[in-house]
Amino acid sequence: MSACTVNGREHALEPGETVARLLERLGVAGPYALVERNGEPVERFAYPRVRLEGGDSVVVARPVAGG
Amino acid sequence: MQDDVLTIAGRAFRSRLITGTGKYDSFETMRDAVVASGCELVTVAVRRIDLEASGDDIMSFLPETVGLLPNTAGCETAVEAIRVARLARAGGLPDWVKLEVIPDGRYLLPDPVETLRAAEALVADGFTVLPYMLPDPVLASRLEDVGCATVMPLAAPIGTGRGLKLRDAIGIMIEQARVPVVIDAGLGSPSQAAEAMEMGADAVLVNTAIARAGDPVAMARAFRLAVEAGRLAYCAGVMEPGETAEPSSPVAGLVTS
Repeated sequence: MSACTVNGREHALEPGETVARLLERLGVAGPYALVERNGEPVERFAYPRVRLEGGDSVVVARPVAGG
Repeated sequence: MQDDVLTIAGRAFRSRLITGTGKYDSFETMRDAVVASGCELVTVAVRRIDLEASGDDIMSFLPETVGLLPNTAGCETAVEAIRVARLARAGGLPDWVKLEVIPDGRYLLPDPVETLRAAEALVADGFTVLPYMLPDPVLASRLEDVGCATVMPLAAPIGTGRGLKLRDAIGIMIEQARVPVVIDAGLGSPSQAAEAMEMGADAVLVNTAIARAGDPVAMARAFRLAVEAGRLAYCAGVMEPGETAEPSSPVAGLVTS
């Protein structure tokens, strides 16, 4: 099984795992899950389409309190 | 005054108070303070999700009527700020960004060169850019030239609550600006916000002074009233100060004459 990293932590990929599936597996709720793959932002509408590959570096972020 | 609206990048705001969402003891207090402030725009930061303990989502506490202004807090270079802004927009947040490029952790003073560099790139990429900056009229002009929607000078360093320490430079900015001037950071009390508005600032952005007040919700309302009062005073025309006294009562017809 291949793996990527999510926020620096190893994540074992399911076959054909998409960004949308990743968020589902991580239990990321809320209207704004922000995703970057290998340094490039992923457009929200593409989450169900973009498949992750072994060795990908993924960042998952969201809005938080700030000034 | 009914038609006195603040227009930023073609969008009209009735409120001239923008609030930050940081430093509150709870999201519930933050929500109540945002409502009490009457603001129509709030800042949020963008951070990696903690996969071990994701916690509550701030979005479920913010009123839907309030607009979001993502910031680039924590970014020390233009490259970092551009990366965060693009990530936020791709994920569905607005294409407005409060641009902060701050390499200095002690005073949190923004880097003018990197800020200008990031602003130019972000405007070219379609963002509406509201840059946090030192009150430098020349830099403000440069930021306007590259297409920034506002200029946002600090009154004093972030979180200090010291008030309009850089008042004279801000005054020059207000005189010369071609876009709205938003006083961002350093205001500690409603009177200081009123003073900024009386000077002719178009809006103020307040976070710590509300969030860290004894009663943040009451303080949010106090800032709302102060900003309205200051704006009203500016529009009404504040009197010129004089050197000597002028009696307010008639000098003729004195009973004792």
